[in-house]
Amino acid sequence: MRLNKNHSYPGKLIVVEGVDGSGKSTQLNLLRNWLEARGLHVVFTEWNSSKLISKTIKQAKRSNTLIPVTFSILHATDFADRLENIIIPALKAGLIVLADRYCYTAFARDVARGVDKEWVRNLYGFSVRPDGAFYFQVPVEVSLERIANSRLPGFYEAGMDIGLSTDPRESFQLFQSIIINEYDRMVGEFDFHVMQATRPIHEQQMLFREQTAKLLGI
Amino acid sequence: MVMRPYSARPVNIKVAQTVPQRREEKVVPHAYPGKLIVLEGTDGVGRSTQAELLQNWLAVEGFGVVVTEWKSSLLISAAIDKAKSKNALNTITFSLLYATDLADRLHNVILPALRAGLIVLADRFYFTAFARDVVRGADPTWVRKLYGFAVEPDVVFYLKMPVEPLLRRIITTRGGLDFYESGRDIGMSTDLYQSFKLYQTKILKEYERMVDEYGFKVIAGDESIDVVQRHLREHIQEILSEDGTNDYSVPISESDRSAARSM
Repeated sequence: MRLNKNHSYPGKLIVVEGVDGSGKSTQLNLLRNWLEARGLHVVFTEWNSSKLISKTIKQAKRSNTLIPVTFSILHATDFADRLENIIIPALKAGLIVLADRYCYTAFARDVARGVDKEWVRNLYGFSVRPDGAFYFQVPVEVSLERIANSRLPGFYEAGMDIGLSTDPRESFQLFQSIIINEYDRMVGEFDFHVMQATRPIHEQQMLFREQTAKLLGI
Repeated sequence: MVMRPYSARPVNIKVAQTVPQRREEKVVPHAYPGKLIVLEGTDGVGRSTQAELLQNWLAVEGFGVVVTEWKSSLLISAAIDKAKSKNALNTITFSLLYATDLADRLHNVILPALRAGLIVLADRFYFTAFARDVVRGADPTWVRKLYGFAVEPDVVFYLKMPVEPLLRRIITTRGGLDFYESGRDIGMSTDLYQSFKLYQTKILKEYERMVDEYGFKVIAGDESIDVVQRHLREHIQEILSEDGTNDYSVPISESDRSAARSM
């Protein structure tokens, strides 16, 4: 499987992972600005944003009728489309690719939905192994607090589809804690760079830049 | 036992650490009261015609029948058509879209019907993907594992036909050749006829490989419609009668009867 091997493209692939409210998108944006300010060419891609299928996924989610396996393959389709159309061409062209969420998001979420761990890893076996995978780790309570302040979680976001609880907030808490657990288990499996996402934003960013610079050789 | 790569509903979670895992590597036979009958074969071999005839026959015989076609799910078939019309698919997205289609139909059509004791006639099943995706360059093991969420059919009929008559039939009945059916997306030849021939020959080879792997019942597809139908019925009758544990004599509803009569 391609996911388990280092790629040989001239470009570099940096991905960020973590639960909602971990601050990973904020950190990635800051990193992107910094890289661009240094005159480097950067391509950015985020989860569930392909032209091919993201609309279909959003529509399907609205109906609240997706079963976990279908949900899983749909997201893999989105990812495959972006991989082939955005990520791999950019890597071949020697660019820096920044991905907000990568296949590890599926490994955490789909497994939290009860999908077989090996099956979902095989499903995403076509993925290119990132040069750096940064995991923004937060304790469950912090993540919940950050999210709870903003809005009520969506049906799938809260894992309502697997019947953890009929109360969206409670379901979200349970689901989120399972996801964090899955992420924590992947740290060793996929050599995540663990970022303490409870630290001040500036402090995290400095560390993120330092480690990225090392990976990029800049 | 039916293969489920997910657990339907985790219970009793207060301290949520993880949900129960099921290890599935291989599709296993289902234990539902219904029967899953699959018709496989390449484009233009007459699968759909045969499926329709079987459906009518089974209904007249008093069986509840559901026909399900490849790429027909409400969820995704429109998206597949759109993507194909733009020729926007690569090998992996092509595979995954079709897998999504089957996953959706499996849970909304096939499994509910099998649970209810109906006969499901599947016009193509995952073997179609095994053939097509592998010809398109997908890893055979990857594709087989991908469809690990599905159920094993009770019987698979492979309608087999050499490529030359197949070509003649497709050109005459459909008035031309299709881009994907001709494998033009994988750049075999710019000559559509040549491309179709090369592509379908490779597909036929993959089917041939699967005959033993999955115990296909091979039916000569270049016989007349009636002869093919007779062969299919003989096999199906055998399967239905050897299955003593299921009481297929239970009458179907009155509305189904009148529907069958009106056919």
